[in-house]
Amino acid sequence: MALLEIKNLNAGYGDLRVLRDVSMEVNEGEIVAFLGSNGAGKSTFMRTIVGLNRAWSGDVIMNGKRLTNSPSEKIIKSGIGIVPEGRRLFAGMTVTENLEMGAYCNRKDIRRRMDSIFQSFPRLYERKDHLAGDLSGGEQQMCAIGRALMSEPKILLIDEFSLGLAPTVVDSLTKVVQDINRQGVSILIVEQDVQMVLEMSSRAYVMEVGAITISGNSKDLIDNPKIKEAYLGM
Amino acid sequence: MIILQILINGLLLGAFYALIGIGFSLVWGVTNIINLSHGAIALLGAYLTFFLFQTFRLDPFLSIPVSFIAMFSFGYLLQRYLMNFVVKAQIFMLLILTFGLEIFLVNFMTTFFSADFRSVTPSYAGNSLVLGSIVIPYIRLAVFSICVIIAVAMALFLDKTWPGKAIKATSLDIEASMMSGINPAKIYALTFALGSGLAGVSGTLLTLTQAFSPSIAGGLTLRAFIVSILGGLGRIEGALIGGLLLGVLETFSSYLIGESYKNAIAFGLMVLVLIVKPSGLMGRKYYAEVKH
Repeated sequence: MALLEIKNLNAGYGDLRVLRDVSMEVNEGEIVAFLGSNGAGKSTFMRTIVGLNRAWSGDVIMNGKRLTNSPSEKIIKSGIGIVPEGRRLFAGMTVTENLEMGAYCNRKDIRRRMDSIFQSFPRLYERKDHLAGDLSGGEQQMCAIGRALMSEPKILLIDEFSLGLAPTVVDSLTKVVQDINRQGVSILIVEQDVQMVLEMSSRAYVMEVGAITISGNSKDLIDNPKIKEAYLGM
Repeated sequence: MIILQILINGLLLGAFYALIGIGFSLVWGVTNIINLSHGAIALLGAYLTFFLFQTFRLDPFLSIPVSFIAMFSFGYLLQRYLMNFVVKAQIFMLLILTFGLEIFLVNFMTTFFSADFRSVTPSYAGNSLVLGSIVIPYIRLAVFSICVIIAVAMALFLDKTWPGKAIKATSLDIEASMMSGINPAKIYALTFALGSGLAGVSGTLLTLTQAFSPSIAGGLTLRAFIVSILGGLGRIEGALIGGLLLGVLETFSSYLIGESYKNAIAFGLMVLVLIVKPSGLMGRKYYAEVKH
C-alpha cells in the first residue's frame, strides 16, 4: 500500500490554476524524484501537501488517512516532514534550538534523535550554539534536513536542496539523504539537477505546467529521449 | 543628593514603564499588531484591583494574579475571536481596530466606573525607607522588584519553555513554524493573552503608585510604545532597559526643564534611537524591527 498518495490534486493562487489533476504515490522505503523546470508547480505541490496552500479539490492521503486541507499541525503529526525551498531556518535561533523546534509535535526522546542527527552531520555539532542565520549555505541545508528529521517522519519531502550549493556539498548531502532512506524513511525529492536525482531515486515523475506528463522507473527515464532533450541537454 | 534622589525616583518609575512596555513590545514583535488599546487594558486591571480593594479589602499586591488571569483570558478571547480575522490585513487596518477598541474600553470605563480619579491606599502606604536624605517609599520599592522579577521570568519563559520558544519561532518565520507543526493562530492568541495579562498586572501596580482615571489610557499606551522602540521589538531585556531609561529621563527632565516638556523629550529620544539604531538599543540580528 502506498504511504503517501495524491489523487487528482488541483490547487492555485487566486484565479490561477497551478496544479492540474496531479496524481502520484510514494511507497514505503522508496526515494521518488519529482522533476520539472522553473514554474512547473513543484513547490506549490509540496506546499499543498503540507497544508500551506489550499487544495481546490483532490485528495492527500497519508497512511490511509485523508489529510487534504487539514491544518499543517495535523499533517506534520501524521508523519510528514518537510525541508522547504530556501531552507527557512529560524535565523535568530541557535542550531540546537532549530532542531528542538523540529521536534515540537513529537517531544519524546529528543536527546537521542539530536545525537543521531549530529552523527550524520558532525559539522552541525561543531556549530550547535551558533545562530542558524550565520551558517553557510551547506550548513543551513544540513540544519534544515535535521530539523525535519526531528519529528521522526515516515516520509521526508525535500524541496530543491541543491540550490546554490557547491557540488561537493551536494554530493555529501546526497549521501546523507540515502542514509536516511536506508533507515526506513521514504523520500520525495523535488529537484532541478535531474541527473543527480534520477541516479539516487527508484521512480520519478516529471511535471510540466502543473500536470504530470511522464512517470516511470528512474533507470528508464535516464534513457528517455524526451528527458534527455529537455533536461540533460543531450 | 537631590540628583541621587531623582535618579532613584526615575528608576522606580522606569521599572513600571518597563512592565507596561514588555507586553506591548512582545505583541508588536511577534504578531505585528501595534495594540493601541494596551493602556486601556492595563486600566481594566487597575479598576479590577480598585474594586477588589474597595469591596473585599483585598490587598492590591494579592490581586496581581487575579488581574493577570482576568486580563490574560480577556486578551486570549480578543485575539482568537476578533484580531485573528484581520491579522493578515494591512497594518493600518489593525491600527484602526485596536484604536477603536481603545475608544470603546475608555468609554466603557468612563460610563461604568466614572471619570473620577481613583486611588488605592493600603494602611502601609505612607511607610518609607529613609537612608540619610534619600527617601524610598516601600511600596515603590516593592513595585520595582515585582516589575524586574516579572521581566526576568518572561525572558526565561521565552528562552526555556516550549510555548516560549514556539512564540520566538513564529515571530522569526511563520511558515517555517507551521512546517514544524506549530499552529500560529494558537501562538498569536497566547502572545496577545500574555501581553494583556502583563498589562493587567501593570494596571494593578499603577493603583499603588498614582491616582488613575480612564483618561490616562492613552498616556500609558504612549509610554509602552516608546519603551518598545527604545528597547527593540519583542525584546524583554530591551523593554527593561528602555523602561528604566525613559523613567530616568522623564524625572530628570521634569526637574531640570519642567514637567510640561517631558513628553517632548521622551519622543525626542525615541526619534534619536530610530535614526541611530532602528532595531532598538537591544535589538538583535534576525528579529523584528520597526520597518519604515
